[in-house]
Amino acid sequence: MRTEQDTLITPNRLHPKEGEVIDRATTIRFTFDGVEYPAHPGDTVASALTAAGVQVLSRSFKYHRPRGLLCCSGHCPNCLVQIGDEPNVRACTRPVEAGMEVRAQNVWPSLKRDLLSLTQLGSRFMPVGFYYKTFIRPQKLWPLYEHTLRHVAGLGEVHIDTPLGEFDKQYLHTDVVIAGGGPAGISAALGAAEGGAQVLLFDENPTLGGHLRFTVPLDSSSTPEVSKDLPELLEAANQQPNIAVFTDTSVLGWYQDNWLCAVKGTRLFKIRTKSVVVATGAYEVPLIFDNNDLPGVMLGSAVQRLVHLFGVLPGKQVVIVTANEDGWDVAADLQSLGVNVGAIVDEREPNACSSPYRDGLVNAGVPVFYRHTILEAIGSNAVRGAKIARIDERAAISPTTTQSLNCNLIVISMGWTPATELAYMTGGKSEYNEECAKILPVSSPPGVYVVGRASGTHAVDSQIAEAHQIGSTAAAFAGSGEVNKLTAQSSGTLEPRRTSDRVCVPGNKKRFVCYCEDVTDEDVELAIAEGYDSIELLKRYSTISMGPCQGAMCSMNTIHLCARANDWTVQETGTTTARPPTTPVTLGALAGQNMEPVQTTPIHQWHLDHGAAMMVAGLWLRPNHYGDPAAEAMGVRERVGLIDVSPLGKLQLTGPGVPELLERIYTNRWENLRVGRVRYGVMCNDEGVVLNDGVCAHLNDETWYMTTTSTGATTIFEWLQWWLQSGWGEGIHLTDLTDVYSAFNLAGPQSRAVLEKLTERDLASKAFPYMRIRSAKIADVPCRLLRLGFTGELSYEVHCPSGYALHVWEALMEAGREFGIAPFGVEAQRILRLEKAHIIVGQDTDAMSDPLSANMAWAVKLDKPDFLGKPSLMRISDEGLKQLLVGFKMADPDVVPDEGLQIVEPDADGRLKIIGWVTSSRFSPTLAAAIGLCWLPPELASQDGAPFTIRIDGHLKEARVQHSAFYDPDGERLRM
Amino acid sequence: MLLLTCPNCGDRNVSEFRFGGELSSRPKDPSALSSAEWANYLYMRNNVMDAQTEWWHHNAGCGLWFLAERHTRTNEVIKTYPYAKRNA
Amino acid sequence: MLPTKQMSVQLLRQAFNSSQPPPRMWRSHELKERYDVVIIGGGAHGLACAYYLAKEHGITDVAVLEKSYIGAGGSGRNTAIVRSNYLTPEGVRFYNESVKLYEQLSDDLNFNVMFSQRGHLTLAHTDGGVNTMRRRAEVNQIEGVDSRLIWPDEIKRLCPYLDVSDHPRYPILAALYHPPGGIIRHDAVVWGYAHQADVRGAHIHQNTEVTGIKVKKGKVTGVETTRGRIKTGTVLNATAGWASTITTMVDIKLPLTTIPLQACVTEPLKPFLDVVVVSGSLHVYISQTDRGELVMGASVDPFSSYSMAGSLTFLEGIAGHVLELFPALSNVRILRQWAGICEMPPDYSPIMGFTPINGFLIDVGWGTYGFKASPIAGKTLAELIATDKTPDLIAPFRLSRFEENDLVGEKGAASVGH
Repeated sequence: MRTEQDTLITPNRLHPKEGEVIDRATTIRFTFDGVEYPAHPGDTVASALTAAGVQVLSRSFKYHRPRGLLCCSGHCPNCLVQIGDEPNVRACTRPVEAGMEVRAQNVWPSLKRDLLSLTQLGSRFMPVGFYYKTFIRPQKLWPLYEHTLRHVAGLGEVHIDTPLGEFDKQYLHTDVVIAGGGPAGISAALGAAEGGAQVLLFDENPTLGGHLRFTVPLDSSSTPEVSKDLPELLEAANQQPNIAVFTDTSVLGWYQDNWLCAVKGTRLFKIRTKSVVVATGAYEVPLIFDNNDLPGVMLGSAVQRLVHLFGVLPGKQVVIVTANEDGWDVAADLQSLGVNVGAIVDEREPNACSSPYRDGLVNAGVPVFYRHTILEAIGSNAVRGAKIARIDERAAISPTTTQSLNCNLIVISMGWTPATELAYMTGGKSEYNEECAKILPVSSPPGVYVVGRASGTHAVDSQIAEAHQIGSTAAAFAGSGEVNKLTAQSSGTLEPRRTSDRVCVPGNKKRFVCYCEDVTDEDVELAIAEGYDSIELLKRYSTISMGPCQGAMCSMNTIHLCARANDWTVQETGTTTARPPTTPVTLGALAGQNMEPVQTTPIHQWHLDHGAAMMVAGLWLRPNHYGDPAAEAMGVRERVGLIDVSPLGKLQLTGPGVPELLERIYTNRWENLRVGRVRYGVMCNDEGVVLNDGVCAHLNDETWYMTTTSTGATTIFEWLQWWLQSGWGEGIHLTDLTDVYSAFNLAGPQSRAVLEKLTERDLASKAFPYMRIRSAKIADVPCRLLRLGFTGELSYEVHCPSGYALHVWEALMEAGREFGIAPFGVEAQRILRLEKAHIIVGQDTDAMSDPLSANMAWAVKLDKPDFLGKPSLMRISDEGLKQLLVGFKMADPDVVPDEGLQIVEPDADGRLKIIGWVTSSRFSPTLAAAIGLCWLPPELASQDGAPFTIRIDGHLKEARVQHSAFYDPDGERLRM
Repeated sequence: MLLLTCPNCGDRNVSEFRFGGELSSRPKDPSALSSAEWANYLYMRNNVMDAQTEWWHHNAGCGLWFLAERHTRTNEVIKTYPYAKRNA
Repeated sequence: MLPTKQMSVQLLRQAFNSSQPPPRMWRSHELKERYDVVIIGGGAHGLACAYYLAKEHGITDVAVLEKSYIGAGGSGRNTAIVRSNYLTPEGVRFYNESVKLYEQLSDDLNFNVMFSQRGHLTLAHTDGGVNTMRRRAEVNQIEGVDSRLIWPDEIKRLCPYLDVSDHPRYPILAALYHPPGGIIRHDAVVWGYAHQADVRGAHIHQNTEVTGIKVKKGKVTGVETTRGRIKTGTVLNATAGWASTITTMVDIKLPLTTIPLQACVTEPLKPFLDVVVVSGSLHVYISQTDRGELVMGASVDPFSSYSMAGSLTFLEGIAGHVLELFPALSNVRILRQWAGICEMPPDYSPIMGFTPINGFLIDVGWGTYGFKASPIAGKTLAELIATDKTPDLIAPFRLSRFEENDLVGEKGAASVGH
């Protein structure tokens, strides 16, 4: 309920009027720096605070000067506040909600009395870039200075316990995207939709209409009448089924091939469109004069927004500073509300003013100062007056004419600069137009169009007419409707001089060019004089346009200042690159739902149910162990174990050309591999670097079944596809069965006994020897069985259709129960394979390792005619190895060197020289020894039993080279 | 996001494809090459800032490796075609 | 030491007498007909080389040719991380020398480059990652570089906002902690070198693009530019990113592929992140500048290009990955994204020094690790130019290594190289 008290504390709230967006029937409450304020639904945080007479909303970045509303359109940094745990919220566009806790940012100790504003006293010692020139010596003190600087800088706070919010994304596909829902945007949408195109119309405001929502526009005949355009346009858009409207949605960026991104709150839109119409309007340009950042100095459009949308009048004694008819519009607008317009200060000659409101305002007694401009905003925390002066014939200020006017609101209406970031992201080119003192888009890539104020067209009826036509052109480009004659589109309908190029009025106080970073015009001049003269260097040195406004408020003025100081034209000065996003966007919205992909096997839930500790292995989650990896390993050695190896890559190759392909892609021989046999192979690239290893089985006449490492499965599939499709594919068909088959390794002396219970296939070693493949039904499921030996024990790799995987797994576990079967994880497998000194590609080898150095010369047949990597391996073989991968055993069985530790040799001075490193190591429960694999210089590695030292925790520990496998060196257990 | 035209599947987002580098061919008879020539094949690249013929793989689609001509400064794709039609 | 005034003294003078114009950091010159040395590329490397040529070898007849403004390329587009915790001993030694020069650089250049040695964490999310971090830590320690493996409790102490629980998709298992690593004001490095090179007599020519290189009988004789011809017997190509476009003028092919690398920055926030955080598995690195912005980058783009347009895919990806690491940041806003270009060599190590053409030298192949090497690259190349001998420190990075099959092993631990 609104109370009498509320009325008292919202002195700036006007009487209800048409067009306002607030719901006066409801009053909600929120706090700002702990003080409670009333607001109406529809208010923004800033409009509610302004209604309550709060003028200072923030403190500036460098000097901690008080700052209040300037643009009221979400562009400038002046109203950035912290709302709850959300930092850097633009108070002027954020709808207020009941109970919101709003706080000022970057103030110490408080917004009202910020002691850091004392920095201004020393500001002459802190011009632009002062930090590059100070704190240089003594260097030791820099961290201390830096600490202080860091804590003075920064804006909002991130709370450590901020919850990760809910975000999502939506894909949209359309013919035409219209960015901006002002009169031009709506009209373009209508033009496109009437041509039959599907249109998406985006606007960052809660409702369509752009500036028509809060201005009283003139038509080109300059008769002062309220535009009927907006209701008509809205109605037409509403009736048009081809237009989908997205309000509160900012188009953030244009990316290659008309891929756009927009955001609405927590949802990110990704849009593919055939054509784009940029109707993003214009920014009103601030004027640079003494104390131009004082709260109470506002842009004309900001005042109109507050008045018309929120029924809030930010000041009752108004001075309007202008150089165009827009200032007069604001004056007339305020006058009609009964506001005392204290003066209109127009820098033009009287006869240059063509405002239809002129006579009315003059007759009403509003003092008008032609050929005058503002020198200074008077006041300390808020505007108390304005100092103005006459501009003489040479366009200079004549100081003797200075006079002060009392006021509490200074309205700046000096002109507009097109909001063209989006247009330039598309690759559009711009040129400075002297006539209207604007940088305007002059060309766009095919299918990209710029309309309305963004193209320089100011008059609403011209905007509407042009945009409608361009809308239909955009539709035609997208393939809908007739191709319009107007295909190449340049600037819009220009009007002379709505924008002043007098961007700066000299004085003797601070004049801010850049509100985000507190950069003054003197800073700009100083930077240019020092050599940072190009616009890009100036930007980087002064940090102008690199703050929260991203140049919306300062770019145009900076370009003018830069041109002037260098004596260049604006065109020569150029612009900086437009970069996405056009408006800041949260990490949450960009991230969307957390969708880090995970791959799991069909046995995943079983593993979890049986206490598996899962580990990340590439995209896969795999059981690392089920509680006691050493016991799992011993279980395999002594009885039988079962491991889920489903992530293994599984490829099927069929056709007469397969043997030749295998000869080319593996380093060893394949043509002689008979049906039913399995062979281990290593694949290299042409550099001779090991890419992958695995086995390949000759399944039947023309069918071969290949496995690859789990993490390399996709890479190898693509690699093989490439060779097949680029000339080696004759008579070969390749199928990826990785997900089709699941695979388990049943390993241990009892594995045959377990498997025999589930199959009729003769598993005796004679019928099914080591390194053979057989088809068999296991628990009634047709499977492929491979007798392999990675673990060093009798073992069967069971490959079964994934749909039956759990059934087969459970059947194996059940059948194994009487033999003491237990599941084992990756850790136990690592122990088991290390006891056999089997390497793991990617762990023992890296992106530089060749198979000869990896001690697999036995798998490299350099006498083959050609294979991938052969020329490189020939050369390595000829020139000699630099390193060799060998096994080692620690002298002290209780000292297991961690993987990654370095093998060193002290030189004569006791300095350590690195000669190798440990790639794998474990305590072997079978042998009660610390064992591993390592890279060593070949002369050392080739001596069985040679001692060397590993640096462990800074101490040197002895190990010895071991050539044979640590466990069952003759491989008898594999062949049982 | 760049659109690439897969010769089988048509226009798709570039995120469906894997880039395979500029077009180079494995020498027909590697054993005939000098070390320098072999190193040239292995490592040296034209790396042009211009139209480049290059490999792409439709790895999230049909699995086709094909060729594209793309300008490496603007990323404009001039054309795409199957490897078999490279000399057409 | 030349009589360059203390910067802080200049600042004071300026404060009390603003009518006097400040000294220019670097001046404009007419293009001379001849220079002893022409450096192509006005980035941190080229300017550092010009500086060390003058300072250490008395070679001042030097032109630095920049087609745009100084620092327009990788020097102004990187994420300003400096570290020396590499994998190979040769890499560690080289970058350690660079860090040592950076530590003295503000004093040396009389310009505060704001080197903030706040510590650098490389997170490991898998067993393999932990092993690689341990390998790096060990190599670093043996080479005298401060690096060690630390575990989640210490990680949390150094960086409270990191989620070290086991909930994330890629839980943090350990990290390589490298206390001397940190961030720097990258543009200031460019400007500082440019200033001191200028003071010592080098000519810095901005907006001067090289269009051709003259070679006679296998020897460089001159350079053609958009502003005229220059005679010279020594040319250094320091245009990493665009190096192939220069070497093609003298018919040298390089083992390089140019790929964009993207970055983005948030709005300023109060300080909460005191270290540089890198995650190889998640392809992200993040730090907070002195101004309070978070600067973030990822791995190189998925395909080669000289385009410096940003991509949405990058923004989406990095946002997701940053929130994996720092779930409290979901309300933090990205302000701007940009891209630079990197030329990747096969072994992720630079290519420096002589080429088959006499007098034509290269400083290329700087991948994603070039900015942090600026001082030492400039210094060693200046020595090479002055002495006509390759300094030991950069011998592993010679161009001929590819033909000699003697690549550098830095790729062995290649993940994100920041």
